[in-house]
Amino acid sequence: MKKIKRQRNSQDILPPTVRIIATVFLLVFALIPVIYTVLLSVTPDSEITSGENLIPSHWAFSNYIQMWTSVNLAQGLFNSLLISLTASAIAVVLAVGAGYVISRFKFFGRMPYLYSLIGLQTVPGVMLLLPLFVLFASAQAALHFKLVGTYQAVIVTYLTFALPFAIWLMVSYLSSIPIDLEEAALVDGATRLQALWSVIVPLALPGVVVALVFSFLTGWNDVLFASVLTSPETRTIAVQLQAFSSAQEGGALPLYGQLMGASIVSALPVVILYMVFQRYLIGGLTAGGVKG
Amino acid sequence: MSIQPIPETGPESPPSISGAQIPKRTSSRSAGGRPIWLMWPSAIMLFVIVGLPFLIALYISFLNLDQYTLRSWIHAPWVGLENYVESFTAGNIVGTSTLVSLGVSFGFAILTTAFITPIGILAALTVNTPFRGRGVVRALYLIPYVIPTFVTALVWRMMFLNKTGLIDRFLAGIHVANINTYWLLGPNSFWAMIITDVWASWAFIYIMVLAGLQSIPADMYDAASVDGANSWQRLTRIVLPQLRGILGLALLLSTLNHFNNFTLPFVMFGTPPPVQVDVLPLNIYVSSFQLFNFGLGGAMSVITLLIMLIPGIFYIRTIRLGEVTV
Repeated sequence: MKKIKRQRNSQDILPPTVRIIATVFLLVFALIPVIYTVLLSVTPDSEITSGENLIPSHWAFSNYIQMWTSVNLAQGLFNSLLISLTASAIAVVLAVGAGYVISRFKFFGRMPYLYSLIGLQTVPGVMLLLPLFVLFASAQAALHFKLVGTYQAVIVTYLTFALPFAIWLMVSYLSSIPIDLEEAALVDGATRLQALWSVIVPLALPGVVVALVFSFLTGWNDVLFASVLTSPETRTIAVQLQAFSSAQEGGALPLYGQLMGASIVSALPVVILYMVFQRYLIGGLTAGGVKG
Repeated sequence: MSIQPIPETGPESPPSISGAQIPKRTSSRSAGGRPIWLMWPSAIMLFVIVGLPFLIALYISFLNLDQYTLRSWIHAPWVGLENYVESFTAGNIVGTSTLVSLGVSFGFAILTTAFITPIGILAALTVNTPFRGRGVVRALYLIPYVIPTFVTALVWRMMFLNKTGLIDRFLAGIHVANINTYWLLGPNSFWAMIITDVWASWAFIYIMVLAGLQSIPADMYDAASVDGANSWQRLTRIVLPQLRGILGLALLLSTLNHFNNFTLPFVMFGTPPPVQVDVLPLNIYVSSFQLFNFGLGGAMSVITLLIMLIPGIFYIRTIRLGEVTV
């Protein structure tokens, strides 16, 4: 976007003072809970519940050591990572394929299919929980094949939930890639799949990254389905923390410090993921929307 | 003959892509064939994991299904619309009626959206133009949004703890409220939930508006400067009207998402929740999995879905407006 150099950029809507105050205020608003969480995670639990001072009398770094056993954190993190990564990878692969077909070819039922994808996103998760469980349980009994409590069931569930948005995303991205590039590849003798893989996908990479990140989050954040579909071995961090938290409420001395420490650790992978791909994510927003 | 990609988004997510060139539909006579089969895996999965359960849930809503009849659920007694009627009459033992939950859900969704909109717009305005450290600020703005929902719920639960939480301490410190104010029970819990979700989701509006701002042509700003418009005028006469499309979409999606939010109230308040935060998803969960009245839960789900269809149809029509033809 061409900007005419002026004393003050005409695109600045806010007067400088307003801007500074607003920025500071927003940052404070955004970060205080985060700072508080870090503070709590190194505060002894007795001091949290007694509520005397904000700053603890001594640093309870031991929270960070004990939490690994209190919550079985390592297992939970591993499970969440495995499930979310697998689900998102498969979802994106399927979405690229579906997006490619929808954006390039006419076929019967194309528009209804596209709109149904939106419709699917409005279905409340709670509605599907029991039927899905019943479906898995019935299939398990019929096929003599363990389903509930396995990684596969959860992965399949998350990947399907991530599909509508991922497909929409890929349709958008792929629609904006000119067809001449593929046709050139086809003329050179490539099959459609080869053209897709070597020409289209590299160009659509920002969209693929966005789809990957959001699909990953679908799995990482979910509590509802994980609470029903996982066994103690395959439990995700979301369910573990939620269970740990509700267990504390009835206890004599709630282990708040460890809970906060564990929360930080389970948020960290996601925050890092976002920070790393931030450029893609925001870039994906503005790409193509910028007029010269 | 072509799809016009228009700003579109999905649940809780920002991307809006307006494409430059759009490929023409290809015919099957072109080289390389039509790999339509690429669509089948996703279509099949969607049908099995979402479509079928949806139909089953629909069926269940007409049954009297509890933990005893669950085993052979297909043969559970058919009760027609009785579940629907029951869901609207006065609340059951631990739960509340659908009407109350509807009210809570609506209130929550609308109020949260109303609060995050000015915050998001303000945030976008602060970083629209470059300054030193803008990258850092932008990254920090995103943090509340990217933190997993269950972590947000746990963190704010700690903050709202009566007597020891940060909120009560702060309010007592500035002599505005009693230090032992209850936020996780009672009437304040509604506001606790709203405040938490406002904190977690204002960045959604921020991202959408930022994208929209970047697509306002520079000449409009310059023309306004030349005409001597001041800040407020520029905001209200130029920026906001240009943002109408993307803001509308953002508000719609935001309301939809907050309406359906299960994780936040579940982790923050537990079940059964205080009546003031008994949003529909929670109510359905309690009915189904704690009261084991699956039929009732199913009926409430269907009602939720029907309500969701209204903004959903708006959403589809908005998307459709960007389309030329199939």
